[in-house]
Amino acid sequence: MKTASGSPVSNPWAGILPAILLMAGFFAVPILYTIGLSFSSDAHQGFTLDNYRTFFAEARLVDALSRTLILGLSVVVVSSLIAFPAAYFLAFVVAPAWRAVCLFVLVAPFWTSFTIRAFSWQLVLSDTGVIAWLAGEITGLTVSLGFLYTMAASIFGLSLFSIMLITLMIYSVMITIDRRLIEANTVLGGSGWSAFREVILPLSLPGWMIGAVLTFIIAVGDYAVPALLGGGFKPVLAQVMLSVLKGTYDLPTAATFASILVLLILAACTPLLLVVRSVRLQG
Amino acid sequence: MTTATLSTRLLALLFAAVVAIIYLPIVVMAIFSFSSSRFQTLPFSDGTAEWYVRVFTDGQYSEGFLNSVLLASAVAVTATAIGFACAYSLVNARIPGKMLITLFVLAPLAVPLLLVGISLRLYFAKLGIQPSLWLVWIGQVLYVLPLAVLNLRNRIAQIPKSHEEAAWALGASPLRAIADVVLPACRFALLATLILTFTFAFDEFVIAYFLTNFSITLPIKIWTTLVTGFDPTINALGTMVFLFSMTLGIAAQALFMRKDVR
Repeated sequence: MKTASGSPVSNPWAGILPAILLMAGFFAVPILYTIGLSFSSDAHQGFTLDNYRTFFAEARLVDALSRTLILGLSVVVVSSLIAFPAAYFLAFVVAPAWRAVCLFVLVAPFWTSFTIRAFSWQLVLSDTGVIAWLAGEITGLTVSLGFLYTMAASIFGLSLFSIMLITLMIYSVMITIDRRLIEANTVLGGSGWSAFREVILPLSLPGWMIGAVLTFIIAVGDYAVPALLGGGFKPVLAQVMLSVLKGTYDLPTAATFASILVLLILAACTPLLLVVRSVRLQG
Repeated sequence: MTTATLSTRLLALLFAAVVAIIYLPIVVMAIFSFSSSRFQTLPFSDGTAEWYVRVFTDGQYSEGFLNSVLLASAVAVTATAIGFACAYSLVNARIPGKMLITLFVLAPLAVPLLLVGISLRLYFAKLGIQPSLWLVWIGQVLYVLPLAVLNLRNRIAQIPKSHEEAAWALGASPLRAIADVVLPACRFALLATLILTFTFAFDEFVIAYFLTNFSITLPIKIWTTLVTGFDPTINALGTMVFLFSMTLGIAAQALFMRKDVR
């Protein structure tokens, strides 16, 4: 059999098969199994909603879920507010010769351990950390920041990671915008701000959307930052999940937490489908 | 126009501030790693290299490092091999549903590692397979495979098809043409992919934490040290791990930028 490009490759599936088998066997099936497990219980035979009833009846767990949602949404908002001007700077302001350097400097720290970067913030933010010490030296008072081990610290830590991600996503779309559209807007009497609002912003939204969805997913699923910066008193879903798995080892309960996380992710992905559809309609 | 330059300066300032904030704690950690005090108190007491010595003499750190290097190497080789085969086929084969297949293979990018780890743990428990570094190997291949496929797909797509066609015309079998034409044409991208997937696997913590019971990788050792009370060796180790990963990342990036399509 010949493929359309004239290749004599006898079976075009041969190269793809290992990847697909791996993804099916160790990614798709385990996640489906986990979802299935969440509908089972030791007390019952067959299908049951008991685990979900228990989850939503327990205030501690519902709180963890709502904290997870607030964390995810806050991180998206905070990092988007910074990523838009940062991406605009990269795409339209900085000299092209410096662009590669700026991109590199922005991305480079993300090759290294997430855990270590989260921990290093403890040194800066804790009540005996660098900021508290500096503030104390300047004011002469004992300054207690009270920032570490709060939700705000989690939002801060995750936003730093997400700023890079969303900036890159917006930038990659902004850089493809036809400069003549911006010139046209200026020629028609628009200011720099109107060029941003009328041309650049709407055209960068698909890139932002992908970045925002990925950011939300990372934020609701992360364990290291909530544990190291958010602290253990007000846990998010990931922390309760881990305490079950490393503690009571109640597998259906852990599976239920995981399935709720899957639901959150699927819900977050629906805006992406809209983007794909609008791109299809345009193209 | 003054307003234009003002906003330009503000944007530059914002960008510089973001970058400064990202690097600040790492610099602080590096400075603390030379402080002789057992506690993270300011101002600094005398400088010392004690914590660095401690990292190298503590057997658990060396064991973790060795495990991590072996594991990450295995993950990098596996993911690059499977990723190359997949990327080559995605570029060259005309098969139905290519878009869906691509999305399927890239799906782990949009799923938290926590979920990959927990579902594998539950699944292996069901199959009666005990947690071990072998399972981490599988889990981490899932995690880095999308990166390998994306990187290699872009590079393979740049190779002129005519080169391969010339090899076929000269009687080379498809596999021979891949080995003699395609592989050399993307050798730098392959090397870069190996390094990049190694780096990500080397630093990966969540999957390893879920899928092992007693084996120690470096990130697991770091984590347990962090949560069981502070130990200043973490500053020294963290600084070294940061430099190690950065070096690898920069090397990979430099290789990616080399034009190896002849």
